[in-house]
Amino acid sequence: MKRTPSGWVVFIFALVLGVLFFVNVSVGSVSIPFTAIIKGLFYHTGIESEILWQFRLPKALTCLLAGGALATGGLLMQTLFRNPMAGPDVLGLTSGASLFVAVLLLASRYSSLLLIQSTWSVAIAASMGGAMVFLVIISIARYVQDNTALLIVGLMISAATSSFVSVLQFTSQADDLQTFMIWMLGSVGGTNWSELIVLASIIGVGLVLSIALIKDLNGILLGESYALNLGINIKKARVMIVVTTGMMVGVVTAFCGPIAFVGLAVPHLVRLVIPTADHKTLVPAVMLGGAILLLACDLLAQLPGSTHVLPLNAITSLIGAPIVIWMVIKAKRISV
Amino acid sequence: MFDSIDIALQTSNLQVGFKTRLQNRVLFEPISINLTSGELVCFMGSNGIGKTTLLKTLAGIQAPISGTIKRHQSVAIVLTDKISAGLMTVRDLVTYGRYPYLNWWLTLHDRDRQVIDDAIRQVHLEPIADKLLNQLSDGQLQMTMIAKALAQDANILLLDEPTAHLDLNNRVEIMNLLRKLAQAGKTILVATHELDLALQTADKIWLATPEQTIVTGIPEDLVLNGTFDRVFQLKGFDLKTGKIQHTPYRNIGIQLTGNGPEFLWTKNALERNGFEVVTDATLKVNVSSIEGSVTFQIETNNRHEQFFSIEELLLKLSMPSA
Repeated sequence: MKRTPSGWVVFIFALVLGVLFFVNVSVGSVSIPFTAIIKGLFYHTGIESEILWQFRLPKALTCLLAGGALATGGLLMQTLFRNPMAGPDVLGLTSGASLFVAVLLLASRYSSLLLIQSTWSVAIAASMGGAMVFLVIISIARYVQDNTALLIVGLMISAATSSFVSVLQFTSQADDLQTFMIWMLGSVGGTNWSELIVLASIIGVGLVLSIALIKDLNGILLGESYALNLGINIKKARVMIVVTTGMMVGVVTAFCGPIAFVGLAVPHLVRLVIPTADHKTLVPAVMLGGAILLLACDLLAQLPGSTHVLPLNAITSLIGAPIVIWMVIKAKRISV
Repeated sequence: MFDSIDIALQTSNLQVGFKTRLQNRVLFEPISINLTSGELVCFMGSNGIGKTTLLKTLAGIQAPISGTIKRHQSVAIVLTDKISAGLMTVRDLVTYGRYPYLNWWLTLHDRDRQVIDDAIRQVHLEPIADKLLNQLSDGQLQMTMIAKALAQDANILLLDEPTAHLDLNNRVEIMNLLRKLAQAGKTILVATHELDLALQTADKIWLATPEQTIVTGIPEDLVLNGTFDRVFQLKGFDLKTGKIQHTPYRNIGIQLTGNGPEFLWTKNALERNGFEVVTDATLKVNVSSIEGSVTFQIETNNRHEQFFSIEELLLKLSMPSA
């Protein structure tokens, strides 16, 4: 498979990511001059350094990690199901997480669930919800032979949980509802360093696993029969892909809420830039691409020159959808 | 067994089919069958009888219900499954053949590149090696799948209907390729519906009967002892002459003279149109070819008429006065 051009594109992606990261750190409601940014990064003194280290760096790093994780999860799901419509949320993890967060935030008045009031409670609820759906999906993935069946189960879980969430929303109080709606809109600004360490280590393991799965992913593209004939252990690969995606999507949803679109769109955008089906190129490119897209969206969400911050989910879809439509029209087709 | 060197694959009491919770659906009576090295075997039988399932079981993709398969050589399979990934070149797909030998990072060594190049060359794919799969014709795609199987370095090739949906030229090309590969030492089992191609290329036929057994034999033997007729219940096709049967519904006998392909095709046209070609009749047609131009002469008693195409000839013969 052609190495040189793809290698260059991946290199350019990395460069763009570096620049975007720096720009993202430089821009915010308080304007900090360029020299102060550099100084603030190295000397922990002054208000600028405080803003950088307490707010901007954690947020930029969260963008980087969440974007990379969601996009990679999307790629893994599109390959596993050989379906361009698949995204990281097809397994129903996001819905499971939203269900538990909804129960926590909306039903807490009746059940005093919010006894342990901490920044971690939402993250813990989301993780529990995601993990519960994850266990169901994993046991089904080991049992059913057919990937499409797995896809349907994921969609059904999503449908069931979101209807339950609707019922909760219908019966809840206005201010609780607002808290929940804000969580549903996704945010990368709420993570502190200790949360970031959890996020980084779990996503790190997920990304390493994704790279280790490159051969299996390529094999699965040919269909199960051919993959088996080429000596690929399909059952093990399927479980590993689901575990990897589940881990990454679960932890991102726990800390940032259900961030939509990135996971579905980035693999397509990357394939339109680098027309290849080889995961040796796709996996690293999609990781970088996801981080780039989320950093860029976050930059736009801050509305440069203003103190307002728009919800991240609104921006990702608002900016991303026209780009994908334009690129699909240009390329005239889409493939997995 | 002493002669096991020649046996590429051997099954004993093999039962194939689908396992369900309630009962197993077994497709054939227990199969004890051999594939001999370097032979081209065509596996025939009506649709839905279980050819694909048997191939998949022989390749180890599907678990047998009972019995054993001894594979003395490695197996590569070419199925009818569509490859959905379009952003892949011919060379990329052939590279997949090396996967059993590659590490997780898919590092290609010189030997792998050599094998890939050889496979592409053997199937004559060099001109389209860098084309994307979604730009290929069905025939080219099938050739690419065969090249992938060759790159797998397996000595046994199992192919499921490799000539389905292809035109005659492509069908013949693929069967010739398989023929050549068998001569070069590969053991090849092809599931196919192409009776005519199978009869002309196969060393051996496996024939799935409606009684769910598999009859094996040399193609000519199976033709002459009527096994094909019995299994396929051929309707209007005379296997022993290799032709479609025509009824001479016009009750007109024609004495046809001439030679070469011109004679054969004229005979074909006459019989297709309900005339009977006989050795002696008052209506005589003579076909002659002089320097590439063909003339057809009708002789009745003392009249002579000349035509320059079979169409004109048939038109004249069909008129009541003739």
